[in-house]
Formats: sequence, C-alpha cells, structure tokens
Amino acid sequence: MTHLAGQPRGPEVVLDADYVVVGSGAGGANIAVTLARGGASVVIVEAGPWRDPHDYPSSAYGGMRDLFDEWGSTFTRGRAIWPIVQARVVGGTTVINSAICVRTPGDVFARWERERGIPIQPMADAVARHQDALEAELCVEVAPPGAVGRNNALPLQGASILGYESALCRRYVKACVGSGQCLSGCVAARKQSMNVNFVPEVLRRGGTVVSNAPVKRVLTEGTRATGVTGWFKHPESRKWGAKFTVRARRAVVVAASATHSPALLQRSGIRSPALGADFRAHPGTAVFGCYDDVVDLNTGATQGWASMAFRDDPGVKLESLAIPAELVAGRLSGGGAQWMERLRDYRHLALWVHATRAESTGTVTNGWGDRPVVRYTLDTADMARFRAGMVLIARTHFAAGAKAVLPGIHGLPYRLGPDELCRMENAPLDPRLYVGILSHLFGGCTMGTNPANSVCDPWGRVHGWSGLVVADASTIPSNLGVNPQHTIMALARIWGERLLDARSSGIA
Amino acid sequence: MIWLVRHAICALLPSSDHFPGPAELGIDAFLVQLRRESNGLFWFGVVAGGVVFAVSPLITVGLPVPSFFLSAAALDRHASRIASHRFYLVRQSMVLLKMVAGFCWGAHPRVREKLALAPYPPDPGTWRAS
Ligand SMILES: Cc1cc2nc3c(=O)[nH]c(=O)nc-3n(C[C@H](O)[C@H](O)[C@H](O)COP(=O)(O)OP(=O)(O)OC[C@H]3O[C@@H](n4cnc5c(N)ncnc54)[C@H](O)[C@@H]3O)c2cc1C
Ligand code: SF4
Repeated sequence: MTHLAGQPRGPEVVLDADYVVVGSGAGGANIAVTLARGGASVVIVEAGPWRDPHDYPSSAYGGMRDLFDEWGSTFTRGRAIWPIVQARVVGGTTVINSAICVRTPGDVFARWERERGIPIQPMADAVARHQDALEAELCVEVAPPGAVGRNNALPLQGASILGYESALCRRYVKACVGSGQCLSGCVAARKQSMNVNFVPEVLRRGGTVVSNAPVKRVLTEGTRATGVTGWFKHPESRKWGAKFTVRARRAVVVAASATHSPALLQRSGIRSPALGADFRAHPGTAVFGCYDDVVDLNTGATQGWASMAFRDDPGVKLESLAIPAELVAGRLSGGGAQWMERLRDYRHLALWVHATRAESTGTVTNGWGDRPVVRYTLDTADMARFRAGMVLIARTHFAAGAKAVLPGIHGLPYRLGPDELCRMENAPLDPRLYVGILSHLFGGCTMGTNPANSVCDPWGRVHGWSGLVVADASTIPSNLGVNPQHTIMALARIWGERLLDARSSGIA
Repeated sequence: MIWLVRHAICALLPSSDHFPGPAELGIDAFLVQLRRESNGLFWFGVVAGGVVFAVSPLITVGLPVPSFFLSAAALDRHASRIASHRFYLVRQSMVLLKMVAGFCWGAHPRVREKLALAPYPPDPGTWRAS
C-alpha cells in the first residue's frame, strides 16, 4: 500500500507497474480499480493533492483554491468567454460534482453506431451491467425526505403544475444530510466521490497512488507507449519538486479529462487528425426565482431535482442547484449600491439550471504551461435550445409561486414578472449576452472505428499505437443529454476488463 | 496593485444600511492572501479588471478622469454601469472582480450572521501526506 504525495527537488523517483493510469477522476479511478481487482499492478498518477473529507474547505474561496483546476481559470475562447469547471485533486471532478447518477440513454448507443461505427452490442449490454454494479457499490439513492430542502421541492411542485415529468435525482450519496455543499466537497463524507472509495481500494489491493504529480509527457518507443514522466508540484507553494517517471509494462492509460487528455497526448507527440477535435459540452446557465417565503439554498441536497422531459425537444435537462452566498453574489448582475441592495433577496432565491444538449463542436490544444486551450462557441441552433431551457425554468418558477425571475441576460431587465416572459423568449441569441458555464465535457480523443475521425477505437486504444489507452470523458463522441459520470465510469470499467482479457491471452 | 483592486471592489460592493461591504470586512488582508495563493492567470485577470475599472469613467459616466477622482455618487454610477456595460469585454472584465468581492463578502462571519447562516469553520488547506 503506497501513496507518494510528492518529493522536493532531488533524485528522480522511478516506479514501474503493469499499468500506469494518469488521472484519478471518474474514468481513471474506475479503470484503475478494475485492473487492480483483476490482479494487475497499477500506479495512479494524479496532478492534484489527495484531500479527504476532513481536508475539504467550507468557503467557495477555499473550494477554488484547494479543489478546482488552476483556480477555475480555464475558459472557452470563442464568441463568449464561459468558464470550464473541473477539479484537480485525487478523485477528479467527482469531488466537486453533485453526484447525479443517470444511465446512458439507448439513443446514445444508436448514434455512436450510426456516426462512429461502434456496434450497439456488446457495448450497450456491458455498460448496463457495469452501471448495475456501480449503483450498488456507490449507494445510489434519492435524498432522504429530511435532506430535500425547498430548492428541490419547489421545482417538483412547479413541474407537476405544468404537467411535465420530473423527479428527485438518484445520486451517488449515502444518506445525504442536505448541506448543499457538494461543489466544495462533501465534508459529511456522504458523497461517494472516487477519492473515498475506488482510489483507496486500489491502494488496498497493492496499487500505488502518486499525487501532486502532473504528467508532462507520455513516454514512447516507436509506436508503443512505455510510461509517463513529469515533475512533482507542491499544492500550496506551487514549487516544482523532483522528477518522476513511471514505466508501464503493459499499458499507459490516459484519463486526465476532456481538456487535459488531448493536451497531454499532443505534447507527447501523438499525431491524429482527430486529436483535440470534436470537443463538446452541455453548456448550462441558471435562472433565479424570487419567492415571498424563505427558500434557503443552504438547506437541501445540492442538486436534488431534475427533469429529462425536454431532453429531445428543445434539448435540455433541467436541474436544481444550490450554490453558496459567495457565488450567488458574484452571479447576480449589477454593481455599486444597487448590487448590494439586490443581495438582500438572497434567502428568498431559488436557483435552477439547465444543461443544453449542444451539437456545436470545438477544439482543444496544448497551450502555454501545459494548459489546455479550448476554442468553442455555441451556434445559433444551440443558443436557441439554451434560451428555451431558460424559459422553461422561468415558467417552472412561476408555477411554483415565484413572484419574479432573474434571467441574467444582458439587455433584459434585472427582474421579470410572469407577464414578461416573452422578453426572455425573444432575447437575442448572441452568446455574449448570457452567463454560461461548461461542466459536462466530452470529446477531444473521441472513439470510433475510423482513424480519420477518431483517436481511439471502441476499446479506448489509441489508433496506431500499442499500450496506449484513453479512458475518460474525452473518448465520448457525442453529447449524452444526461449527466456523464455514469457513462464514463462504465466505459472505463469495460476497457479495464478488456485490458485484463488481453493480458491473460498474451496480447499487448 | 492591491490598492487598485481594492478600490474597484469597494466601489462595486459598497456597504449599505443592511450589509457591511468588503471595505469593512478585511478586504486588504483578503487580497494579500488572494495574491499569495491564487495562480498568475487568475490574479492577472483580477488586476486587469481593476485597471479597466479605474480608467473607464469616460465610457460610463462621461467623465475623463480615473475612477479615484469621482465623487461618491459618480463612482456608484460608474460601478453600476461598468458591470453591465454594452461592450462585452468591458463588462466581462468585471466578472472576476465581482467573484472576488463575493468571496470576501459572503464568507465573512458578519455577513453570514445577517444571512442567518452559521459561520464557516476555517478552510483547513490540508491534504494527505505520503
Ligand atoms: C460542478 C460540476 C458538477 C457536476 N455534476 C455532475 C453530476 O451530478 N453527475 C454527473 O454525472 N456528472 C457531473 N459532472 C461531470 C462529471 O463530474 C465529469 O463528467 C467527470 O468527472 C469527468 O470524468 P473524467 O475522468 O473525464 O475527468 P475528471 O473527473 O475531471 O478527472 C480527471 C483527473 O485527471 C487529473 N489530471 C489532469 N491532467 C493531469 C496530468 N497532466 N497529470 C496527472 N493528472 C492529471 C485531474 O487533476 C483530475 O483529477 C459535474 C461536473 C462539474 C464541474
Ligand atoms: S448535499 Fe451536502 S451532505 Fe449531501 S452529498 Fe452534497 S455535500 Fe454531502
């Protein structure tokens, strides 16, 4: 059982294993635990520190500092500047996410077959089998009644009045106490993020975790990946430490996320016309509702309610979302005395969001300082979906009894009443007028059968290379229209099993 | 550059009868901590926002002077208008400043008390050693 949390400058640290897995998020932790359960030796190399629930911050500032990737300073370059939210910590983005669990919809597999040549079977059955297992292992349940809170109960009521289907979310959370703090890590240790289950299991099974260790390059010999290398980085002082190299006898698995995996492969000299292309997302935004009674975003599961009724038309998923006072302040529009005055509404605000099933694609390239550079702009059709999602949220607020909504669209009044919804419906579709955010990311190392338009094959193996596998959100070749963690975890497990099969049959 | 950022943040989120603003909530120490702990790109964005705030009264309130020389009423008008300015990059440059103002304001025990919220325990800033 070894955890190596960085080394100051000094002699190079050299390790070896059957498999080295870069990144310990949804994809990395699942492929690593599958390999470890299969008896392989595994080293997980993670850029961020390992923080346990008692290490988590309470404030939003602490969340940015201790958990977010580079202070949340990745953003889209395009017509609008929208933040891209990811974590840099053992457990990856599962530490800061809301743990909503949704199975991969059947139409996704049909699309992958149609567009990428990936046969629906055995993929769909294998994903379902792993999702069954994951739901049991990660204690998937809806928030208990005492942990629902008004921010989740109100939209349930609003949706039922409007006559569309919605429900409390199933989440990877055991006995949620409804603190509304998922985005800065679950201090109550109820959320089943990867750092509290699969990563420790890898250690217990004899694996090694190397943290504070951003991988600089994948090492190659000819067309074979042989290991990874980089320099330790102190999580507080950000000083560089010793060099590390981990040699992989069988394969290098890259699971550094939809932004970092393509960037890492690019700077490692992997060439593919599809590398960094086809970046996609579910861009989202929030609409506040103002209620007469106290709502209190600090009571209730962070994201306890959702509706998939509009996944096909107009192409959005609706969800509730609790964020702390600090972030509400930053999100309300205005400046000066008027902004301060608006903050008086805080306890009466409910916050619901949407995730747009966007078809627009972008690119990821490796930028200065190994930061991924994401070029991405929503086209007009996606912006129409985006706006329609906001209108649906606003309608739900009014049905639930809100006296006003705060659309947050530049050029519209700060508050809109129920009779003014047409202003939202007719708002211009310029993305610069909206406050968008990207949290569900896909692509950059997409899978498919054709090397001309995909980086990996349907088993995550990089076309043209041996011993090189990608196992994270970057392989997903389309949007999903649902929260992605369940799909990412199941795919990573399938690929882990495949590697074990190849190992037992002697195929590299 | 802390003074510049401080000026912008205190103007963007001034104290009111109901809530204290960052000026009363230890903004100086907070900014020193932010500069020390944040990464270069984030801090650059915050300072850039401070510079834009300082040099732009001409395009918000029509006065060709840096924001330091505005009267209290004009400074408040400037803060309000720049945050929702019609030029995207101008209003966008206030986003980080507003976020930092929110961090300082919303986490402070005095504000949390006003919001009927328990004070935050300190952020431990710890991690698992080898
Ligand atoms: C705020 C938020 C809420 C969300 N809520 C949900 C939800 O409720 N349900 C859901 O299904 N999905 C949710 N998601 C999305 C979900 O968390 C992600 O899709 C998922 O975690 C992505 O998995 P991944 O393995 O691709 O990347 P990640 O989980 O991000 O893991 C990548 C890891 O690789 C590490 N890494 C990066 N570069 C390097 C390097 N060079 N060397 C070593 N390590 C590196 C990173 O530090 C990170 O730990 C949410 C996302 C966000 C941001
Ligand atoms: S709402 Fe609170 S208790 Fe529930 S999972 Fe999130 S952080 Fe944990």
